[in-house]
Amino acid sequence: MTTATVAAPQSGAALGIDWLFLALALTATAILLALVLLDGQPWSAALIVGGFGLGVAFLKAEFSYTASWRRFLTRGEAGGLLGGLIVISICAIAVVPVAALRQNFGGAIAPLGPSLVIGAFVFGIGMQLANGCGSGTLYSVGGGSGRMMIALLLFIIGSVLGSLSLPAALALGGIDPVLASDYLGPWGGLAATLASIALAAALIVAVAKRRAASFMPSRNYMIGGLAIGLLCVFVFVVGGHPWSVTFGYTVWGAKAATALGFDLTHSEFWQWAGPKHALSESVLSDTSSLTDFGMLFGAIAAAAAAAKPFAATAWPPAKSLLAAAVGGLLMGWGARLGFGCNIGAFVGGVASGSLHGWVWFLAALPGCVIGIRLRPLFGLSRE
Amino acid sequence: MTAMRKTYIVVVVLALVAIVGNHLTSPSSGRAVSPEDFAGACAPCGAPCPSKK
Repeated sequence: MTTATVAAPQSGAALGIDWLFLALALTATAILLALVLLDGQPWSAALIVGGFGLGVAFLKAEFSYTASWRRFLTRGEAGGLLGGLIVISICAIAVVPVAALRQNFGGAIAPLGPSLVIGAFVFGIGMQLANGCGSGTLYSVGGGSGRMMIALLLFIIGSVLGSLSLPAALALGGIDPVLASDYLGPWGGLAATLASIALAAALIVAVAKRRAASFMPSRNYMIGGLAIGLLCVFVFVVGGHPWSVTFGYTVWGAKAATALGFDLTHSEFWQWAGPKHALSESVLSDTSSLTDFGMLFGAIAAAAAAAKPFAATAWPPAKSLLAAAVGGLLMGWGARLGFGCNIGAFVGGVASGSLHGWVWFLAALPGCVIGIRLRPLFGLSRE
Repeated sequence: MTAMRKTYIVVVVLALVAIVGNHLTSPSSGRAVSPEDFAGACAPCGAPCPSKK
């Protein structure tokens, strides 16, 4: 977590509320809600509200996939990883059967191949350098971290570069998605998915015990995991697909590049139906962007309502900013090749019973090891 | 007011202006969608399946 720390009393300090930023976040959210409701899109409004809730939940619980993975790899502590599995388990109970049984609903699926493995590995390096993954970057920006603002900017640029690289990476080969419910039916697929999560949890606990480290999730991670899991289900119900974060970044970057005069329409990625539609339509027509905006403003609101002045810290050292920039760029590129981040690929993939979720996890983990080893070069601790 | 707070105000306001501007100047043809909603999509970004290439 990279939220602001206390520096000096600000307006509203008596109540512990930063009224300026709370008002800014709530006004921005209200404007977006008004725009989509004026278009007659209540489901879009619901996605913004769901994202807002996720921003609050992540910030309040200080729920960090990046720190959890680092604690596991450096010290063997498993509580954070198990908190993440709580999120996936709750989400899977809704996603696997509903996606298999109901029209207009679908899971997060992706092909298996070199693109997935390379992308996840590079993403793992980036998330340790930036100190935040896709969702972590977003809620840390919302929490008042200027450092993560740099990471987000470079994440966006990297994801556009990734969109240009993805067709070539896919040409390296691969196989179609492997979905548990396709082989075992909706309920068998759910049972297999939950069993795979239980097996992963058992292995993670075994590693923690072997390293004499703690494995119980903290109270924050238990409650946060439960809240985030339920909000993931909410986003799935109103959006028709599991929550994803990084496609929104790619769309924002592509729209900005287009506004600056770059023509992306000739690249293969932006000729695929989904990306082509997202590039030409309003940014509020993209489900990923809607939850992202909600999450950003939700995190700002939660941080502003906490007993700390919002964004009151000074800019960190240049080396730390460089790590954020490099990490953001790697995450952006890796997220496109790896079909998402911790949320879209790992949480969404595993919760859908798609094998690519576990492949993403296993490929991102060694990337994290490299990223952790590189952190001291940028003045960051390995812990 | 710290430089960081000023930066945040500028960035949030500019982002909001960009979102609203994009929405008002771009078509919006119905319910929000994900690339996975389109025929032939095999990934959250809308990439096609290897077997279809």
